[in-house]
Amino acid sequence: MAVYKRGYEGYQGRLTPQWSRALVIARQAYRRVFDSRLMIVFLVLASIAPVVYGILIYLPHNTGALQIFNFRSLLSIDAGFFYHFISGQAFLAFLLTAYLGPGLISADLANNALPLYFCRPFSRTEYVLGKMSVLAILLSAITWVPGLLLFAFQSYLEGFAWFRANFYIATAIFLGSWIWILLLSLLALAMSAWVKWKLAAGALIVGLVWAAAGFAAAMEQMLHTESGGLISILKDMDAVWYSLFRLPNSTGLPFEGAVGALVAVSALSLCLLGRKIRACEVERS
Amino acid sequence: MSADNHIVFDDVSKFYGDVLGVNRVQLSIPPGITTLVGPNGSGKTTLMNLMTGLVQPTRGRIRVLGIAPDDPERLFRLLGYCTQFDSFPKSLTGYDFLYTTLRLHGKGHAEACELSRNALERVNMTEAAGRRIASYSKGMRQRIKLAQAICHRPSVLVLDEPLNGLDPMARAETIALFRALAREGLHIVISSHILHEVDRISDQVVLLSNGYVVAEGQIQAVRGEMHQEHPLQVLVRCTQPGLLAARLFAQDHVVEVKMHNDRQGLLVSTRDPDLFYELLNQLVVEGAVELSSVAPADDDVHSVYEYLIGAEGGAA
Repeated sequence: MAVYKRGYEGYQGRLTPQWSRALVIARQAYRRVFDSRLMIVFLVLASIAPVVYGILIYLPHNTGALQIFNFRSLLSIDAGFFYHFISGQAFLAFLLTAYLGPGLISADLANNALPLYFCRPFSRTEYVLGKMSVLAILLSAITWVPGLLLFAFQSYLEGFAWFRANFYIATAIFLGSWIWILLLSLLALAMSAWVKWKLAAGALIVGLVWAAAGFAAAMEQMLHTESGGLISILKDMDAVWYSLFRLPNSTGLPFEGAVGALVAVSALSLCLLGRKIRACEVERS
Repeated sequence: MSADNHIVFDDVSKFYGDVLGVNRVQLSIPPGITTLVGPNGSGKTTLMNLMTGLVQPTRGRIRVLGIAPDDPERLFRLLGYCTQFDSFPKSLTGYDFLYTTLRLHGKGHAEACELSRNALERVNMTEAAGRRIASYSKGMRQRIKLAQAICHRPSVLVLDEPLNGLDPMARAETIALFRALAREGLHIVISSHILHEVDRISDQVVLLSNGYVVAEGQIQAVRGEMHQEHPLQVLVRCTQPGLLAARLFAQDHVVEVKMHNDRQGLLVSTRDPDLFYELLNQLVVEGAVELSSVAPADDDVHSVYEYLIGAEGGAA
């Protein structure tokens, strides 16, 4: 063997914190997201509702407008108002997930890129968190962030007493949105990991949410039970929203049951991700 | 030499369910260029994945310069891996790819920019750095993969088929880069099917077959251990081949002598090369023959591979 004189110096410089590395993935993904005109149009459309709801909050506090029409008698700014806002935005979040989610992992799997990620100081958990953060940040921007801004706007106009009395609405907006965001993100990543064709993965996400709702309705009709609705993600989520916003629960599902069903879907998605997100794919012969 | 300066496999086995990856591997890889040679499915990539922690051993212990592969935070500060797959986001430019890689390694913005530029320079890709990887040729993609493995200045490089797809010029440049890095004291572990280049590159080889290490060490040393089963062939070009053949036939260690077609040389098979060379020296001193060249004909990786693994090695 040749005799080598060690003159090589490895990198000795400073390193960024471990937690921040997952965001490298998100930053890279955003570059692609904002290259798409469709995405820009969608995000603009998603900001229309917050503006409209902001105007609706403002009008009952504008003396000039009140002289023309008594908005207070027409519209009450309460839990129901914010529920309608957030459920509309949650639907947009679902559409965004179905569009963006399928390509998040499937491209890496198709390119055999996972070893590339995992031959860094970077774990499978961080990889999934990084991919989730792509959706989580975007979905936050159209759900709880504008929701809380509207709540803060209303609190500012109505005063501290209203804020204190209705603080549960802010909690509902924040908690409910995060439950929805985590559920959608995990579901989308799991589909993206298992279905390499983006279109099929998107269709599967839509199918799982809407077809399950249809199946649940059929089950309830046939078996004359209300607990069949547990298999419908939409109905489960509705039950959670109603409970958080302290509104009458028209789904007939208990809050605990609905949360349990959502946790089960999330856990299943995590299992699916765990099986697929591996540094090396091994062919068994 | 300290084990902290070696890549050590201590009785390592890896099974994928019922399928054998590698079995009972006992290796200590020193600095320099080590090439893993073996047919498809022999366990080369498994061995690389084991030393990079991408798969865990079923049994045994691995240490890379004293660090366990299941400690990625420490391991990947000193190890760079280049997979055999074209595994990068094709929409990125070469520069962005390296920059992102370095950010994943935990480098700050300024360091990532500087290290990206250095790596691009080392693989001669500076001019193409701003182009999208999707537009790169196969050779350029190989070089950018190599750049991502060296960009964070690791002490150990693990490169799976790094010469595949390179044109002769790029191949020569890449080999020169490997040699330069090895001279600086890096451990470079390469897998390759291109046996004549393994000879040029390697300080030592590890021959694998069906998940087992069948030989390891400097190729001449490995060849030296096989002289009894596979006598060494030496090509001798000289003025009196007939006389030389007659003297050689009298020796016990010489098992075969073939006259060259132009009757200007012999192909000699001997079980004891030392005795053979001694006799040759004696004949030259006596003036019985005049030599123009003497060269071993089968002490290269290709021959060792053929003898130990055989034609069923296929791909090689």
